[in-house]
Amino acid sequence: MAKEALRVPTAELDLQERILRLHWPLLLVLCGIAGIGVMTLYSVPQGHWSPYAAQHLIRFLVCLVGLAVVAVIPLRFWLSASYPIYFGVLVLLLLVPFIGEMNNGARRWIDLGGFQLQPSEMMKVAVVMALARYYHGLEFKKVSTILGMIPPLAMVGVPVGLVFIQPDLGTSLLIGFSGLLVILLAGISWRVVTVGIFTALAGIVVAIQTGLLKEYQIERVTAFLNPDHDPLGANFHPNQSKIAIGSGGVEGKGLLEGTQSQLGFLPETHTDFIFTIYGEEFGLIGTTILLGLYILAFLLTARIAGAARSHFGRLMSLGIGLTFVSYVLVNTGMVMGLAPVVGVPLPLVSYGGTVMLAMMGGFGLVMCTWVNRHQDTLRTQGWRR
Amino acid sequence: MKVEPFDTQRQTAFSRRSALLSGGMLVLFGGVVYRLFDLQVRRYDEFAAKADDNRFKQRVVVPRRGDMLDRYGNVIATSRQNFRILLIPEDTDNIPESIARLEEVVPLSARQEERLLRDITAKKNQSFVPVEVMDNLSWDEFSAVNFRLPRLPGISTEVGETRFYPDGEHISAIVGHVGAADSRDLANAEDQAKRLLYLQPGFKLGKLGLEKKYDTELRGQAGTQTVEITAAGRVIDENDHRGNEALPGTTLSLTIDTDIQAKAYEVLSTDYGEYPEGTEGPGAISGAAVVMDVVNGDVIALVSTPGFNPNDFAKTVGSSKLRELETSPLHPMLCKPIAGAYAPGSTFKMLSAITAQEAGISPSTRFGCSGKFWYGGHEHNCWKQGGHGAVDMVNSLKHSCDVYYYNVATRVDIDHIAEVAKRFGLGQKFDLGLSGQVSGIVPSREWKRNFYRTNPDNQTWFPGETLSVVIGQGAVTSTPLQLAVMSARIATGKVVTPRIVRGIGDSFVEDPVFETLAGDPEHLDIARQGMDAVVNQWGTAARSSLMPDFRMAGKTGTSQVRSLQINPATGRPFQNHELPWRQRDNALFVAFAPYDNPRYACAVVVEHGGSGSKAAGPRARDLMRAVLEKDPSNPAKNPLYYPSGTGANRIAALEGQG
Repeated sequence: MAKEALRVPTAELDLQERILRLHWPLLLVLCGIAGIGVMTLYSVPQGHWSPYAAQHLIRFLVCLVGLAVVAVIPLRFWLSASYPIYFGVLVLLLLVPFIGEMNNGARRWIDLGGFQLQPSEMMKVAVVMALARYYHGLEFKKVSTILGMIPPLAMVGVPVGLVFIQPDLGTSLLIGFSGLLVILLAGISWRVVTVGIFTALAGIVVAIQTGLLKEYQIERVTAFLNPDHDPLGANFHPNQSKIAIGSGGVEGKGLLEGTQSQLGFLPETHTDFIFTIYGEEFGLIGTTILLGLYILAFLLTARIAGAARSHFGRLMSLGIGLTFVSYVLVNTGMVMGLAPVVGVPLPLVSYGGTVMLAMMGGFGLVMCTWVNRHQDTLRTQGWRR
Repeated sequence: MKVEPFDTQRQTAFSRRSALLSGGMLVLFGGVVYRLFDLQVRRYDEFAAKADDNRFKQRVVVPRRGDMLDRYGNVIATSRQNFRILLIPEDTDNIPESIARLEEVVPLSARQEERLLRDITAKKNQSFVPVEVMDNLSWDEFSAVNFRLPRLPGISTEVGETRFYPDGEHISAIVGHVGAADSRDLANAEDQAKRLLYLQPGFKLGKLGLEKKYDTELRGQAGTQTVEITAAGRVIDENDHRGNEALPGTTLSLTIDTDIQAKAYEVLSTDYGEYPEGTEGPGAISGAAVVMDVVNGDVIALVSTPGFNPNDFAKTVGSSKLRELETSPLHPMLCKPIAGAYAPGSTFKMLSAITAQEAGISPSTRFGCSGKFWYGGHEHNCWKQGGHGAVDMVNSLKHSCDVYYYNVATRVDIDHIAEVAKRFGLGQKFDLGLSGQVSGIVPSREWKRNFYRTNPDNQTWFPGETLSVVIGQGAVTSTPLQLAVMSARIATGKVVTPRIVRGIGDSFVEDPVFETLAGDPEHLDIARQGMDAVVNQWGTAARSSLMPDFRMAGKTGTSQVRSLQINPATGRPFQNHELPWRQRDNALFVAFAPYDNPRYACAVVVEHGGSGSKAAGPRARDLMRAVLEKDPSNPAKNPLYYPSGTGANRIAALEGQG
């Protein structure tokens, strides 16, 4: 640290230095998580590389290269690209209701010539980026002013609303949650936070009363609050996934030996419910290892954020880290009956291209923050236009 | 280097909040880990058991139904292989194409195809469940389908079991039939296990006859099989050996001789000329016949015509066909030997003769017959218009003289007649295990009191009524089985009791030793002499004699089903051929043989056959000739007959030798 601090902070690093400065431990942890994903996806279709495992591995490797590319690009570029990226994703999100693919009664996907894109997943990272960019250029004393609060609330509220009407309750809540965490990190006063919480509670009551929430969404929440009710209906999947995880025991049933998952008692084992098959086949040992890797990834991200000299870098890094763990917590909580069933994937393990792309892109930005952690020149460029 | 003051501020705020949120996240992670520990360690047993409950299901295994064998071990009822074709919808991409290709091998009727398509639609959500295309295929069809199976996607074959009765309708009166459990059976099931068994597609239970009576023995014990299934219910592993094997049902060995049974059915369904051309007939002969071994009570044949084919019930009987069977005026579903109560007519006269002797009338006493008998201000006719002249007791039987018995009726008491009738088996039920048995009526003072319980004016017995009873008319009725028992008891002087089951499984029912009948054996001898004279000394059944081959004794009976009426066209009572079928006299015949050493007794009833000597006697003659020639109770003539064993252990013994 001491030696590096002597460097001229504003000096640009050359490419070789950037690559050498990549955060290799974090990279390894991500590879570990994705590896577990590949293994579990191999087990889902009773031990076959197709259709999930091989594809997942290829996507991960491609995204790994993408992560490195994002990481070696100067952070300055990402700062200036934040708003364009945010608005780009927002446009895609706006297009979803018109050109989106219908799937299970919801429009979430856009077909980009054979490549299925889920703008809502990209928005998770984009909203964090845009907020970090905003607070980077905002004087601290303005953070808690009405005028200073309107743009970030709009930046969060618009995509939340757009995703909610797709409808995708889980993702919209998580986008909102990530955004609010970044606003909190930016130093908004506790008084505003308190008011906000009460407003949100009132909003939930209104949403239920006015029928803004779909019936099945309310049903899932009430089912969660009353797990013994309707065991073959709304509570069938939560109960079956608890049985799967519980029956895994300490050591698990072994790869491909999970009876709950292999015999079809579980839904969506390749996406949202992948933790159940993993928990059933690898037991407490396996689940602890996976959760340990997630915690490690988060702690490394938090450390990167703490080490960053630019406000943009640290807000964005921690924001992405928090988004990442929020997904993990909601997903695992959901399959274990601790949270209602809302469609939230397990990052890097669940099968899904856009989630992988968004998460690896996000970690690329974290990595970029790490590479450029000593540079604070950004600050001037950022807030003095 | 210039440091912006607010940058320090926001960095401090960020650091504090970052620590706070990170800490919060770690706490939440702690919650998740705790939950994992809770599920995977603390409650492991509970969830492991639930997971097993999910994947293992108990399946009921239908036991093989026990066979029924005749007295030689020949099969009367068995479970035969049923070749079926199934279709598993999910195994074919194109169901109509599969059906079309199958039809090139075995043609399907339009109705079968319609039902098949309906079944496939109904089970759309479980497309791995096989749907039956057709069953009871011939071996040729079945092997043709099997041969082409590789080119018939979705089609599979299976060998199931169906109840099979090789003798078909000959045996229907005895075996009854089986059928799928109906809602009443389900309601009567004692426990859930039974109910589950009843719901199995291949399961049939006894509905009538011996199949019903011995259902528990024949059914066996249902087994269970543990199978591993997927969430959608598809069986993926049947080879789990937990559970109980199904125990096949017990074999029932009967006393029946299937040859004699077939002969009896044949004589009862052959036209013996009792319906002359131009007169209205029933279309088929409705009648009953029973052949018994008088020594051990074995029922050798028990026939009811017309019968029904019990094999039809092993498949599914169409409701229209069942209705036709149930509403037919000839009552094919009725077991007439035990469920039909007929006025015994003159076959009752042996009992009247025995009563007369017990009342002190000597067999040599003669009564004159002029064809008419005046009693109580009424004229009673003998069947023979000119009368028989003076007849003694043996001749009264030989000629079946009614006036003789009217004289007897004035000298004996009705209650005495009733006592004798009951002693010889009338008014009694015999537990053969057949469905629908009735006891018939043996009139007495007590009977009349009970019968007219609600009408006190009608409870008194009038002596005039006894005149009807002594000739087997009036209120007296009996079943063909009772008449066979009666002639067996007359033949042997023993309390012969019929039986139809010789053994259940390996346990053999020992030949019973019957007690001697109450009363003087010499009285029976007079009755026997009379029956001998009826057949062999130019009596009323002279045409039924088997002399010189066999000396069979018998008695005809012609009983009115309506009171006599004068035909205005002829001025004489209506002749049978002048009447509608339903109003003609019933024809009866009872017999035993050989006369010197009785071994077999029989009773034949032809409903509305007109005359016992024309319609019943010749049938009994042909039947008894077959019986006496075969001599079913003689092991020397029938090596397969095993006097001290069941058909089942006879077969076992033979296999042991071989």
